Amino acid sequence: MLHINQSQKWLLLLGLGIASFCIALFFGAADLSPTALYQCLFSTCEQPVNQLIFWEVRAPRVFVGFLVGAGLAVAGATLQNVTRNGLADPYLFGVVSGAGLGASISTLLFDSPFAQTISWMPDISFSLALPFSAFLGALFSVVLVQILVAKTFGSRTEHMLLAGVAVSFMLSAAANLILFLGEPFAATKVIFWLMGSLARVEVWYAWVMLPVVLISVGLLLLFGPQMDALLLGDESAKTLGVRVTHLRIMSLAICAALTACIVSYCGGIGFVGLMIPHIVRNWLGVTSRVVIIGSVLLGGSFMVIVDVVARVAIPEQEIPIGIITSAIGSLFFLLAMKHKSR
Amino acid sequence: MSQLVAQDLNLQIDQNLILDRINLSVTAGQVLGILGPNGAGKTSLLKMLSGQTDSQSQVTWKQRPLNQYSSSELAKQIAVVNQMHDSVFALNLYQIVQMGLLPHKTLLSRHTSEDDKAISLAIDRVGLSAKSQQTFSSLSGGEQQRGLIARALVQQASLIILDEPVNHLDVYYQHQILTLLAGLAHQFDITVVMSLHDLNLAAEYCDQICLLNQGRVESMGAPIDVLKAPDLERVFGMPCKVSEIHSQDTRYHHSPLQVSFYPPFRPKPPKANA
Repeated sequence: MLHINQSQKWLLLLGLGIASFCIALFFGAADLSPTALYQCLFSTCEQPVNQLIFWEVRAPRVFVGFLVGAGLAVAGATLQNVTRNGLADPYLFGVVSGAGLGASISTLLFDSPFAQTISWMPDISFSLALPFSAFLGALFSVVLVQILVAKTFGSRTEHMLLAGVAVSFMLSAAANLILFLGEPFAATKVIFWLMGSLARVEVWYAWVMLPVVLISVGLLLLFGPQMDALLLGDESAKTLGVRVTHLRIMSLAICAALTACIVSYCGGIGFVGLMIPHIVRNWLGVTSRVVIIGSVLLGGSFMVIVDVVARVAIPEQEIPIGIITSAIGSLFFLLAMKHKSR
Repeated sequence: MSQLVAQDLNLQIDQNLILDRINLSVTAGQVLGILGPNGAGKTSLLKMLSGQTDSQSQVTWKQRPLNQYSSSELAKQIAVVNQMHDSVFALNLYQIVQMGLLPHKTLLSRHTSEDDKAISLAIDRVGLSAKSQQTFSSLSGGEQQRGLIARALVQQASLIILDEPVNHLDVYYQHQILTLLAGLAHQFDITVVMSLHDLNLAAEYCDQICLLNQGRVESMGAPIDVLKAPDLERVFGMPCKVSEIHSQDTRYHHSPLQVSFYPPFRPKPPKANA
């Protein structure tokens, strides 16, 4: 087998990131030739319509795709480190169920016959209300998990995971009830949204997500060595001067903001937070800083490539991206299990 | 002068009195061994002495109550090697030992070549140089214990508290680790407090012994004053003999005392084959 050293691995990962960007910029509904693409990238596009397609549709989508993959992978990696559990990911903490509940409530309030009867409801378009309610729902679930853990169960990490699973199912049940009682057309919209997609991406969204991802990653990198100390247990970390509760709450808050921001606009994209850190740990190393930077590069590249597949797999149709990530993720885990049991 | 002092230390958990009016003091550069049967309160006492439980105004280190130290100040003063350590994810020994630098680093500090030297030296001192890149979970229990002692060395604390540090070690490494700890104490004025099960090792390596029984201090002082047959019989519930050894053989460092127990119960002999 080919042996490559650590710096070659990093170079390979960086190359993968750049390659995924280049590939993704080529593919799309409109046919842009390589020369046209080159012109658009480094000067001005020859045709004004190409200018619009490239800078308003394709480039933002690839860029946001990278940020989504990077953000979800980093959130997963961080949750796994602070809970010392390789299976922790944003789904497990109820973030996605919370977002789903928020989305369901927004259909009830903004996109149903019931909504017409409320006179005080401001006239907000559903496409704006949906992500915003999803964001609030995601934050609500994280706060609920934290309160449950702090007030009821104590701060043991397994309790935190159990509380996350319980909250996740509770919020899913509430969301499903609302969808069941609500208007069928709106329900379809929410279900489609929950499958995850980058199709609605607009330029402004990149500018919202970029600072959220950059600040989150920066903060998590600063606290990397402290998060490493958590890997030997809370008691051990405390004797090294780590303020364990503060660190855990801060990391969870960062993950919540990161995931809520992503899920609220792009819907439920599963398995990225679980699969990517797992690969990075096995390939590059387990210390927090390595896992975080590796997850940014690999998670981002993975999402950009998956989005290309979502766009081109079925002609003139787009598969929701969450379906592809879940399919790849589950296959990956079966293979990983088989590999480990050998 | 006493560096570590505990005055009237009590600990109660759900109606159970775990520690009852404990008073003890240790001077700098001394090794204090805490002895006692299972459930005597050794681990609880070590946790209180190391500031792992909250609000320890009754414990002072360098004349300052532990609860007046910030968490990072405390970590610079006191290194702790606990009994239980579960490592998730495949951290290697080097990375575990490196954690000892954490109290001395700010969020923006970089890893320097001096750090590398300090880590390698510590790993060398516990005899694990050949295994520094091995994953922590692949090491034996004893090697993990030595790795954590190396981490305590890197932490450069002036008080090292260890909960049964030689529990998983074979005879060779029991003596090697205790010699290392006693050497640190006597040469560098580091105070070492540890719980031990082996009374003979305690007699050999500890300057002071604190004998605990049911949460109370039964007796405290030099090994020769504490390890007395009647006290040990009462605490451990077994007939016991303590002999003083006067050997002229100077080739070996040896224990001045030999403690032997004579359990009143015997295993049944094996069945004779028909």
